Amino acid sequence: MNYSHAELDPRKAHPFPKAVLPVLRNPQLRKNVAHAIDVIQTKRARLVAEKDDWQELRTAASAIRAHALENLGAYLEQFEERCTAAGGTVHWAADADEARRIILDLLRQEKASEVIKIKTMTSTEIQLNPFLEANGVSAFETDLAEIILQLGGEEPSHIVVPALHVNRSQVREIFARRMGLKNLSDDPKELTNAARTYLRQKFLAIPTAISGANFLIAETGSVAVVESEGNGRMCLTLPRTMITLAGIEKVLPRFQDLEVMLQLLARSATGERMNPYTSLWTGVTAGDGPQSFHVVLLDNERSSILAKAKQRQTLKCIRCAACMNACPVYRQTGGHAYGSVYPGPIGAILTPQLMQMKFAQSLPYASSLCGACYEVCPVKINIPDVLLELRAQVVNQERGRAARYFDPMYVGLRIANLLFSSARLFHAAQRLGRIGLGLFTRKDGWIHSLPSIGAKWTQTRDLRGLPDESFHEWWAKRGPQPDKEAK
Amino acid sequence: MNAPLQSRQQILERIRAATLDCAQDPAMRAEAYAALPRAYTRHGQLSAEARLKLMIERLREYDAEVVETTPEALPAAIAAQLAASGKHIFVAPYGTPAAWMVTAAWQITGFEWNIDHGLTTAEIEQAEGVVTAASCGISDSGTIVLHHSASEGRRVLTLLPDWHLIILRASQVVETLPEYFARFQQPSGLVTWISGPSATADIEMTRIKGVHGPRFLNVILVRDKS
Amino acid sequence: MRASLFITCYNDTLYPETGRAVVRLLERLGVEVDFHPQQTCCGQMHANTGFRGEAFSQAKRFVRLYQETETVVIPSSSCVAMMRDQYPGLFEELGNEELRRQFAALLPRVYELSEFLIDRLGVEDVGAYFPHRVTYHASCHGVRALHLGERPYRLLAKVRGLALATLENVDRCCGFGGTFSVKNAEVSSAMLAVKLQDVIATGAEYCTALDNSCLMHLGGAMHRQYAGMKTIHLAEILASTEDAPAEATL
Repeated sequence: MNYSHAELDPRKAHPFPKAVLPVLRNPQLRKNVAHAIDVIQTKRARLVAEKDDWQELRTAASAIRAHALENLGAYLEQFEERCTAAGGTVHWAADADEARRIILDLLRQEKASEVIKIKTMTSTEIQLNPFLEANGVSAFETDLAEIILQLGGEEPSHIVVPALHVNRSQVREIFARRMGLKNLSDDPKELTNAARTYLRQKFLAIPTAISGANFLIAETGSVAVVESEGNGRMCLTLPRTMITLAGIEKVLPRFQDLEVMLQLLARSATGERMNPYTSLWTGVTAGDGPQSFHVVLLDNERSSILAKAKQRQTLKCIRCAACMNACPVYRQTGGHAYGSVYPGPIGAILTPQLMQMKFAQSLPYASSLCGACYEVCPVKINIPDVLLELRAQVVNQERGRAARYFDPMYVGLRIANLLFSSARLFHAAQRLGRIGLGLFTRKDGWIHSLPSIGAKWTQTRDLRGLPDESFHEWWAKRGPQPDKEAK
Repeated sequence: MNAPLQSRQQILERIRAATLDCAQDPAMRAEAYAALPRAYTRHGQLSAEARLKLMIERLREYDAEVVETTPEALPAAIAAQLAASGKHIFVAPYGTPAAWMVTAAWQITGFEWNIDHGLTTAEIEQAEGVVTAASCGISDSGTIVLHHSASEGRRVLTLLPDWHLIILRASQVVETLPEYFARFQQPSGLVTWISGPSATADIEMTRIKGVHGPRFLNVILVRDKS
Repeated sequence: MRASLFITCYNDTLYPETGRAVVRLLERLGVEVDFHPQQTCCGQMHANTGFRGEAFSQAKRFVRLYQETETVVIPSSSCVAMMRDQYPGLFEELGNEELRRQFAALLPRVYELSEFLIDRLGVEDVGAYFPHRVTYHASCHGVRALHLGERPYRLLAKVRGLALATLENVDRCCGFGGTFSVKNAEVSSAMLAVKLQDVIATGAEYCTALDNSCLMHLGGAMHRQYAGMKTIHLAEILASTEDAPAEATL
């Protein structure tokens, strides 16, 4: 498996066109990805078809999320006030570093050397686990996929089914080795049971837990966590202390807004009408669950994205992964190639923005702009629009660099622009092109091999040679008279 | 690194600056919220009977065992479920209606009952089964909603035991999710929406039921008057 | 009825037979076809690669050339999508109110070819004859940006002699994506390989579409692999008759 050392740090990841190469050459991985996607897509399609008001739900969800973002300050303050009144403590982290320190300080106050975790991508975004390990705290993942990845030393490749690139015999090998279970078969039921037993001990013994949040409810100061396995319920019920890490964009105005979100989320993410368990809690409840509850609100560039009107919609995301299940690029590459905890179409726009456009500049180009993502996004994020906006920003960065003159794409497009500015220049270029490309054109009228960027085309495709006469030349000869012979 | 209040200030200031073009004052905001498009289906179309049938169908799709009964026959129905469960050590919330416990089954030898007047986690971990009420059933998705009231129990009670018997009244069943929210305008501080036993598809997309939480869900649907 | 043909930069250069077919087809249907000799490009390639300023210039040029034109017909759904989806934003960003207004007035008069035939001329049977087994690939811009829906199928259904083979995963992207085909050539090729499996599986002689961009990509691979199949733009099928078969079949 090539991925054990894949780093999901956008600062260190290979550019997308390079990162995909080992994936594209891995039939097993491509098959696993396609299979996982097909399962979800088939289920999703059936459920969406049975829902008469699917489009109306999307419209409502998009509007609710947009409204929440437009008034984010007010709703966050309301959340803080209500959560605090209910016995929770709200912390504000300006960046990843601060979030990590706040969490570590809380753990130190608890004298915690171990912590159980419900899957949260936000914690991977801030690279929490390695930081905690380095500071003497062991963080145990409790989602089945996350345990597979953690025990196997792997990185997630999908936001809802993170271990979809790992097959059953690989899981068996990891569990047998790390859980010390010699006679384990590769039957998924037995593997799941092994995980159940292994984790039960941890749930009952470790008094501190870290979660993410699917939604923060401003009206009530509540947190909602959506899950399938029950490890979430374990982590947020059994421990003494609960720490929830949430991006500031997760807030919904009112409890009632869940009636829209919950209908969309499970259908989009896993192709179910409703996921098995959704939990909502508010601050601290005497006698029930953790008696010490902390929310760490994370900015980490979200407020910068919020400031850009064209890009703000990126923050509407509810992390359902419908976009990556629909994406024909993701289908071939899986998630690792994006070099980020957020892969796929949403990752292609979110990751570079979280990096202040200083890294991951290849990601906005990791798309053919087919629009399938926008079509399925439950909150109607116009991902293609944001991709185009980010591409313009990447190019504008390039305009300031001398190296641009050595980039054939840059030079080619600048020249093309000049040519398109005048019919005379355009036509002259066509005639020159006919001659130039004629050198590469074989007897059958096709080009098999080109130099420079052209080679990128001809590595897998032929190109028909330029015809002797362009359309406009034909028209000029014919003139605007109907050609009677042609009828 | 910032002092805590400094970060709060900084973040809120950044948000304020970022949304200068669109943030609204409280009155405008409330108006804007009220005007958000909600053309999705709010109310179900099914008759009460069809709704209950759908609820049962959806529950059975999750492999939950469902039996129907009348309010008079409820204690006997509970007894029958307990007897058939193969479990012997049970817990129940402190607010369990006394009427439910009026039956010989609750005193069957070999059955151990622990009512939650402050059970420890270890004691609950010993239990094999739990019996509780519920707050609502949503037939569209086969969802049962717990608000963890006195008769529904603390969250840990319905989490650790392997077998969970839920007593759901017909009058508690609605068709759509928006109907649940319309019915409970005052949100409960604790809510658990249960739509089947836990499941995972993380290993090759093969759906396996019963990862954590009760693997066996039994529901008694009580046909009370709405 | 008069219509001005915007041939598109790549059709002009690489697929003039598509343009000839459009002219033949429209004249057969009684449309007087015009052609503005100063036309070049809509700016899509630049806009989609992030060269927005450059795309502006091309967009401005387009509007200036066609502001007085009664009707513009374009045999390329991606170019029409560029105008509908991106031009409004470009002109707004430019801040040129006059241009923005001129474009807003022009836009309703711009048609993709199948839209022009079905919506404007109200015809489905264009008198075409094309006795071959054909499969239709639904280009992404046509499906998702222009919502062409049933239009191409309705036109194909009336072509005499044509046997239409259904393409599995018909609206899955072929992987061309403009400069994506070169900037991410390997992924583009992987998407192409997968798409080609579905196309070849139809057993058709021809794969058709409303965009030569997709067809250049699919057809380029077919030719490289001796796949025994060719591509042809839908306009050429619709223009084809018994007396004047499509140039591609000769």
